[in-house]
Amino acid sequence: MDEEYDAIVLGTGLKECILSGMLSVSGKKVLHVDRNKYYGGESASITPLEELFTRYGAPAPDQSYGRGRDWNVDLIPKFLMANGSLVKLLIHTGVTKYLEFKCVEGSYVYKQGKISKVPVDQKEALASDLMGMFEKRRFRNFLVYVQDLQEDDPKTWKDLDPNVCTMQQVYDKFGLDKNTQDFTGHALALYRDDDYLNQNALQTIRRIKLYSDSLARYGKSPYLYPMYGLGELPQGFARLSAIYGGTYMLDKPIDEIVYENGKAVGVRSGSEIAKCKQVYCDPSYVPEKVKKTGQVIRCICLLDHTIPNTRDALSTQIIIPQKQVNRKSDIYVSLVSYTHQVAAKGWFVGMVSTTVETENPEAEIKPGLELLGPIRQKFVTVSDYYEPIDEGKESQVFISKSYDATTHFETTCLDVLDIFRRGTGTDFDFSAVKQNLGDEDQ
Amino acid sequence: MANRGGAAQRPNSQTQGKICQFKLVLLGESAVGKSSLVLRFVKGQFHEYQESTIGAAFLTQTVCLEDTTVKFEIWDTAGQERYHSLAPMYYRGAQAAIIVYDITNMDSFGRAKVWVKELQRQASPNIVIALAGNKADLANSRAVECDEAQAYADENGLLFMETSAKTAKNVNEIFLAIAKKLPKNEQVSGAGSANQGRRLVESDSSAKTAGNCCK
Repeated sequence: MDEEYDAIVLGTGLKECILSGMLSVSGKKVLHVDRNKYYGGESASITPLEELFTRYGAPAPDQSYGRGRDWNVDLIPKFLMANGSLVKLLIHTGVTKYLEFKCVEGSYVYKQGKISKVPVDQKEALASDLMGMFEKRRFRNFLVYVQDLQEDDPKTWKDLDPNVCTMQQVYDKFGLDKNTQDFTGHALALYRDDDYLNQNALQTIRRIKLYSDSLARYGKSPYLYPMYGLGELPQGFARLSAIYGGTYMLDKPIDEIVYENGKAVGVRSGSEIAKCKQVYCDPSYVPEKVKKTGQVIRCICLLDHTIPNTRDALSTQIIIPQKQVNRKSDIYVSLVSYTHQVAAKGWFVGMVSTTVETENPEAEIKPGLELLGPIRQKFVTVSDYYEPIDEGKESQVFISKSYDATTHFETTCLDVLDIFRRGTGTDFDFSAVKQNLGDEDQ
Repeated sequence: MANRGGAAQRPNSQTQGKICQFKLVLLGESAVGKSSLVLRFVKGQFHEYQESTIGAAFLTQTVCLEDTTVKFEIWDTAGQERYHSLAPMYYRGAQAAIIVYDITNMDSFGRAKVWVKELQRQASPNIVIALAGNKADLANSRAVECDEAQAYADENGLLFMETSAKTAKNVNEIFLAIAKKLPKNEQVSGAGSANQGRRLVESDSSAKTAGNCCK
């Protein structure tokens, strides 16, 4: 450890592993350390099942749960948008070679106590039970408008400049009612609250396009999920970093970041000091440099059945838009199963999560839990959401934000790309990854 | 690519044999010659001063048996074994492993035994494991007796050979022996990675035609 590095990365959560990979690929000498024995930090998938039960102080699982080793339970539920930023990062860096994915089978939205399939194209919109007949036509016209809109071609704007007008104005132009606005904004554009209504329409239109482009890629839903759980993602990027020379140390306690004149110059573990020019880390390594800005509640539910009314889908996402349950932020429900090698045969892992709004967060997720049917085992975590107090330019300590309640990795990637830019002064150069690295064509 | 682990008919093959693809992982202490063995096997090269592993994601090489072509997808540790930080992903779905030690270094043999235990604990139960006593060209400074290693291998059901990446001794042979021992039956060979996931690729069309997806 007593060496000099360009960058030391602390924590092996997904964000840190992507950063480590990008830094190594860019030619930096990287030391990547985690205090835990396993990869993934907050974004790990816990295995075996006994480990998960121990973590939450529950008595050991009985025989009915099958082999503990067959379980890989995510601590943070998310899906990948098939055409989203993380998939692009995976493909451009070649990390996708180490991973296999499955398409999530169903995408549902909650309305008045029931769930309905999210309509995404004209055909589905016409068949949907979410809207009345006339509303369906209006929604269809809206979808056609979004699909046809070219940002650089005013002829496709239909007299509404998306750079100037608000999303509310766009909804009003097509005469969409509040219900339709609700599932469009929350289940297609994937906003967590309604602030977007009064913001520039272009952002929302881009998000709806991302949803439908993602859907177009693999069919059943816009979401992908990796075999063996989300914990595979940080491992894949860590491997990328290692291949480009990054050094890995797990199970290494970190005592402090060493500063000189307010600037990070190294990291101390016991009597060893590794020197460096920069530190990249998650909030847990620098409690004095982050502020709490909210809380997220996540509930892991082990089930021995699929979610009712989802046509026995082996993987599902359900979005409960905030207004449906008188909240400010949406509740998210997800399901993955033994077919993703994250549970023993016949078992399912459901997750209910949301941004905390009250003193009693467990009561807040009740509408989500009720959709799941009988729950065999439940583990609740309320985690603080931290953001760095500064950009890290002076201290050269670049800190990631905690994982938010969103159901996908778009904000995760934005944070990573932003940290990389702050740390290196440039955008990541994808061409720095050698093409066909180690492939048979070489 | 998407059909990892499965056996597939090759449409334009003259031999009409089937191609089976297998994931093979290398394990062993640093500097025992893991990368050198692969480099010799895949490219026929040897570098006396091979740098610590940088820049080899995985390599592929095929071995032809009588009626089957075995394609190895070979995973190198990328140095992550150095501080005991190899990710579980590394073992996942591996159908074969070569555990390498250096015959001039007793510690590396002890470490190899630990890797065997680790694989028996973490990897799929049907994995084919080979033990390679590398640097056989340095027999003058031998620290690990061939008989001892052979006895250990027999006890644990491992293939065993002394190899030399430098002289190429037994390098092709050990891969060939593994290829012969691997189950070629689709059901059996798929057991290690019976996951039917898909790999993501850039273009839409090839992703759709790759099949084997979204079941």
